[in-house]
Amino acid sequence: MPVQVPPEDATRAEVFRRAIVSGGAIVGGAVAWGLPQLTAAASKEQDARVLNLVLALEYTEEAFYAEALKRGGLRRALRDYAEIVLEHEKAHVAFLKQALGAAAEPAPRFDFGDKTQDGEAFAAAALTLEDLAVATYNGQAVNLTPASLKAAARIVSVEGRHAAWIRSIVGDVPATDATDPAVKEDETRQKLSDFGWKAG
Amino acid sequence: MDFLLDDLDADGALREAGENAGISRATFLGGTIAGAVAAFAIAPTAEAAGNNDVAVLNFALVLEYMQSSFYTEAERSKALRGKAEDAAKRVGAVERAHVKAFQDLLGRKAIKRPMFNFRGTTEAQRPFLKTAVAFEDLAVAAYKGQAPRLRAKPVLAAAVAIHSVEARHAAWMRYLFGVQPAVNAFDDASPKAEVQRVVGATGFIVTRPRTTSRRRPRYTG
Repeated sequence: MPVQVPPEDATRAEVFRRAIVSGGAIVGGAVAWGLPQLTAAASKEQDARVLNLVLALEYTEEAFYAEALKRGGLRRALRDYAEIVLEHEKAHVAFLKQALGAAAEPAPRFDFGDKTQDGEAFAAAALTLEDLAVATYNGQAVNLTPASLKAAARIVSVEGRHAAWIRSIVGDVPATDATDPAVKEDETRQKLSDFGWKAG
Repeated sequence: MDFLLDDLDADGALREAGENAGISRATFLGGTIAGAVAAFAIAPTAEAAGNNDVAVLNFALVLEYMQSSFYTEAERSKALRGKAEDAAKRVGAVERAHVKAFQDLLGRKAIKRPMFNFRGTTEAQRPFLKTAVAFEDLAVAAYKGQAPRLRAKPVLAAAVAIHSVEARHAAWMRYLFGVQPAVNAFDDASPKAEVQRVVGATGFIVTRPRTTSRRRPRYTG
């Protein structure tokens, strides 16, 4: 299972970091991508803000799956799912931290309460969290520069796959709607807080 | 599953799109496609940008035509069982909704539905699931390649809202086929030429009706 960030991704992350954090020569490539006047709100500063938002999500997912594997008594399909998805979330965290460089916010503490205590609670919490990830990435797509959007798009579909996978395992319909919802930053922050995010 | 386009209040949506010049509240609250329709209709963007988005949307429409025809034909074949049958029905409805959305978005500029010959893959469980996995993974990669090229923000918002649904479908079909729903930490984009090459290689799109086949005719359209 190729779950670590491959060298190719490390390189992309580095290119991406230079583009958004230090505004290097790479920005020229990003500008050439689209019509600047139509992405006027997007900027490398805003990219950094958005990437820190999705990094917060990825930190939460990584910590949640790690804790569930330690204490949730997960078995069979749920354990396989959690082990594989944890590696994906670790890779997402590593990618975003590398992209943000010094601008990356540190990981907070978490208190997931009883969400990781058994398989049933874990599955319910996991699908909530994966749906939130999809909605957050989707909500931020229009705020990103094309270069950052391309990077984010490589992650969001993996979160969508996770959301459908956990639903398949528990016997829910994996996808009911024609479009996925989008949420804004405030709502994501609030829901992460409800989920167990503790500042500092 | 009901699509918002059906009860789109065009004037209201137009006004909202104009006022916000971006993503309106209604757009976020599930009116994603409706917002895109409105933004497209008023076409405030440069002609070049409009043409660019039309090309991207028509490319997406071909993929949606292919998927919707595939699932519709599979459903009608009555050859599927259990969860696969249910999935074909549900996913087919969503893909048909995507087709309608793009047709409405593009209006007269929408390209016509090609003719398809799915070569028996809609008539047996395993070939159906295998093909569905391929279609959905391809759609995810294709949307990922095209979304960053879109210039009108509401259209981009609609595309990404569909992109992640295709990813859910991909994982769903993979699960039913018995392969890992999410293999890598990152999904790669496929450029347009690559997607076209893959679609072309399937032979599923037929340019003219086959009149010389010795096999009984398949469903088309």
